[in-house]
Amino acid sequence: MLGALQAQEYTSRTFKDRRVINTNSVETLAKKKLDIRITHRFGDIAGAAGGFQTFFGFENAADVLIGAEYGATDNFDIGIYRSKGAGSTADGKTGLRQLVNASAKYKLLRQRNDGGMPVSLALYGLLSTSTAKKTNNQSSISSFPDFTDRMAMTFQVIIARKFSDALSIQLTPSYTHRNLVTHDDENGVLSIGAAGRLQLTKVIGILADVTLPVSGQRTSPKGYHPSVGIGFDIDTGGHVFQINLTNSKGIVETDYIPYTTSDWSAGQFRIGFTISRLFNL
Amino acid sequence: MKYITLSILSAFTIISLGLIGKKEAKYVGVLDENQSVVSVLELLGEQNPNKPNLSIPGATVENGKSIVLEGFSHTVNGSRLRKQSKHFVCTSCHNIKREDPDLAIADPDARLPYVVERNLPFLQGTTFAGIVNRTKFYNGDYYKKYGDLVNKTRNNIREAIQLCAVACSQGRELDDWEIESILAYFWTLEWKMSDLDLSDEDYRTIKAALEMGGQQEKRQAVTLIKSKYLDYSPATFIAPPDNRREGNKLKGEPSRGKQIYELSCLHCHEDGRYSFFVLDNSGYSFRFLDKHFPRYTRYSPYQVIRWGTSPATGKKAYMPHYTKEKMSRQQIEDLRAYVHEMARGGAEQ
Repeated sequence: MLGALQAQEYTSRTFKDRRVINTNSVETLAKKKLDIRITHRFGDIAGAAGGFQTFFGFENAADVLIGAEYGATDNFDIGIYRSKGAGSTADGKTGLRQLVNASAKYKLLRQRNDGGMPVSLALYGLLSTSTAKKTNNQSSISSFPDFTDRMAMTFQVIIARKFSDALSIQLTPSYTHRNLVTHDDENGVLSIGAAGRLQLTKVIGILADVTLPVSGQRTSPKGYHPSVGIGFDIDTGGHVFQINLTNSKGIVETDYIPYTTSDWSAGQFRIGFTISRLFNL
Repeated sequence: MKYITLSILSAFTIISLGLIGKKEAKYVGVLDENQSVVSVLELLGEQNPNKPNLSIPGATVENGKSIVLEGFSHTVNGSRLRKQSKHFVCTSCHNIKREDPDLAIADPDARLPYVVERNLPFLQGTTFAGIVNRTKFYNGDYYKKYGDLVNKTRNNIREAIQLCAVACSQGRELDDWEIESILAYFWTLEWKMSDLDLSDEDYRTIKAALEMGGQQEKRQAVTLIKSKYLDYSPATFIAPPDNRREGNKLKGEPSRGKQIYELSCLHCHEDGRYSFFVLDNSGYSFRFLDKHFPRYTRYSPYQVIRWGTSPATGKKAYMPHYTKEKMSRQQIEDLRAYVHEMARGGAEQ
C-alpha cells in the first residue's frame, strides 16, 4: 500500500544530477529511467585561442558528448556515450580521439538521516575506446599497435555528504589508466577530486569541482593543470540544464584527468553546458 | 441387495442434507453486519452488473491486486508481464481503503481528518473501496476532460477501468483477463453492511423486508440501503481563483495545510515518486511554491490543483487535477497558509 508518508530514512538528492561539472556525483539514476544527455565544451574564452577572434570560444567546440544512461536498479546505472575527445599532452601531442565510452556506477552506501551512515558512497567505472583511424606515426598514441591500445579506463570511489538542503560536499579518489601513452608519459594516474553544491533556490544551485592529479609528472611547471569547474544547475523538473566554466577541454574522465593542460590564469577556460532529459521506460 | 439399498439410501440422505444446507445458506434469516451490501441487495432483488468473469484464463484476484498495487501482472507460469504504465500505478491516485466518514457524502473537508487518522494519502481519485458498489463512472464534469471517451464508461466499470489505464495513467491497454482480474480484486474491497451508517431501526426494516417483505417493502429496503452510500463519485471542475494574489478570500489554517502538503503533494512529488518535479520539506520547496501561488503560471499551485498539468513533450506523465469534491477551496487556502509559513522560516533546514 502506498500510504501516507513516513519519515525519510535516507538522504536524497545530495546532488541534483549525476555529474557535477567535470566529475561524477554520487547520484545514480533511478530504476527504469533513461537519461539522454548532450554535453558541450566551447573553445577558450580568452587567451591566445580565445577573445573576439573566436567570439570568446563560441565558434569552437573543444569537446562534445552525446549519449544515454539507464537506471538498471535504483542504485546501479549504466551509460554509453560518444565523445569527440579533446585532451592533449603538455607538449601538444593529442590524446585519444573519437571515443566510445561505457560507464557503470553503483551506489554502495546511502547517507541516513538518523546519522547511522554519515556519507553516501558510490563506485564508478569508465571504459573509453578510441574509434579514431590508426596512423603510421609510431610516436603518436593513435598508432594503436594493438586494439587494446585504443582503451583507457577510470575507476573512482565517490564519497559524498549532504550537510543540509543547501550544502553538499564530495571527495573522489580516482585511478585512470591509459593502455598506450607517449614515451615520456605514465600509464597510470592517481587523482583526487572534490566537488560541492550550494543550492540557492529550488531551481538554481551553484556547483564547483576540482580534480587534481597526484603525480610528479602532472604539475603546473610541466604544463599540466588541475581541472577546475564552476557553474550553475537549473532544475525545472525532468530537465536539468547545467552551464559552467571550466579549463578542461575533455568531458570524460579518461580525457580530462590526464590531459588538462589549459590554465585558468591564461584565460584558457570555456563555457560548457549539459542538457539532460529524463524518460520513464 | 440390502447393502446396495442402504448405500443408495445413505447417498440420498447425504445429498438431501447437502441440498437442504444450500437452501438455508441463501438466506439465514439473520442480517449479519459482515454481509456484503451487494449480497443483501441481491436478496432484495437487485442485480449488480460488475461481477467479474473468472472463467477467462489468467483472471485471478492475485493478478488484479498486483496490477492495482504494483502495475504489472503475471502469466500462468508466474513470469511478470509488461508494466501497465511507465508513469503511474493505480494507487498513485486512488486509495484502496475507505476514505470518507460518511459514505453518502463526498466532502473533502470531512475526508481529510479521516485519512489523517488512518495514515492514508489524500488523493485526486476516488478510493477503490466500494467501487463495485458504484454503478456510474467518470461522472459530472469528466466529459470536459475526456470528451466522448467517457460516454461508454458511465455505466460500465470495465470501460472505466480501460479508460483509466490508457488515458489517466497514460499506459497500455489492458487485456480482458487483466480487466477481469482487477474487477475480481475490487470485489475484495466491496462495502459490508457494517460500513453503512445504519440505525437499529434501519436494520429492522431491512430484516423485515428480507424475511417476509413484498415487492414494495423490498424496494423500500433497497432505497434505504442505497441512501447510505454514493453509487457514483461526483466530479465538479472548478477554476483557480480569478485573483490569485487574493486567492479564495478564506483564512487558511496552516496545520491542515501541512496535512495536505504531506498527504497530497509529497505523495507524488517526494523523491520524484510519480513526478519528475521534486518537492520536499526544505525551505527551497516552500519558497518556490509560495512565490508561485499568486502567479498566473503553470507552477502556481492554484492552477496545478484545479487544472492539473499537461504531458510535456517526450514524456506522458502529467498531474491529474483535484475536483471540488477532492479538495475544497478552504483546503487550498490551508495549503497556501502552510507553504507561506514554512517559506518564511518554519521549514526544516
